Amino acid sequence: MSNKHQMTRAAELESLPVFRDLIDAACKHHPGIDEQIRYDLKLAVEEACTNIIAHGYAGMNPGSIILTLELEPQQVVMTITDFGHPFEPSEPPAPDVAAGLDDRPTGGFGLFFIYQTMDEVGYDTTEDGNRLTLIKRLPSAEEE
Amino acid sequence: MEITVKQLNQTSVVSMMGSLDALTADEVTRFLSAQIGSGQKQIVADLSQVDFVSSAGLRAILAALKESRQQGGDLRIAAAQPGVEKILKMSGFTSILKDYPTVDEAVTSFGS
Repeated sequence: MSNKHQMTRAAELESLPVFRDLIDAACKHHPGIDEQIRYDLKLAVEEACTNIIAHGYAGMNPGSIILTLELEPQQVVMTITDFGHPFEPSEPPAPDVAAGLDDRPTGGFGLFFIYQTMDEVGYDTTEDGNRLTLIKRLPSAEEE
Repeated sequence: MEITVKQLNQTSVVSMMGSLDALTADEVTRFLSAQIGSGQKQIVADLSQVDFVSSAGLRAILAALKESRQQGGDLRIAAAQPGVEKILKMSGFTSILKDYPTVDEAVTSFGS
């Protein structure tokens, strides 16, 4: 049985902790979701929403972001919908995590974290908005 | 984000409470930059009460780390919670900064 949650908030930085609180509240009593998985879910949503706020709605009146969260026995499916410029989060080149301090890039970790923490990342743009789908499999589902 | 600072020997222990994310990163950057600008270049960032750090939070830490080293000091991390520790490792930050399990160990690491 699926357990679905949805929230719509303005595309502004103040919405970030509200989305995180939703994830915490929704996942708290799900037996397969431990604290580390919750962190991964919150991190991926935070990075995706930060990109939408900074780039998706750049030069436009800020619109909204819709987060849906579906808790299934074997996976968590999250979708993030916005109505700004399409901003496909294609897999970035891995930041040089071994670079010394002077060569260390200050950006580029957002998409890297999304791909590091999620098992599937999908993106589509239709007249109904841009939709990012993030899937995190739960540990019991990974056992062969 | 609540930030407090206490002085131990020559070291400033900056304790943060809450989440270090895109919403709070600028505030943390300004606070740490003001500390370093006032001559407090040995900094321990006490993360024991920080439950969440995103890439924006890492950028704030990185900026302060660079600034403190340019002044001949250093910024060291103490008491990161497991989730935060994981992203410090994932991003390779643990190879460029010193990371201690406790505030005491981080303060002691600066020596006298």
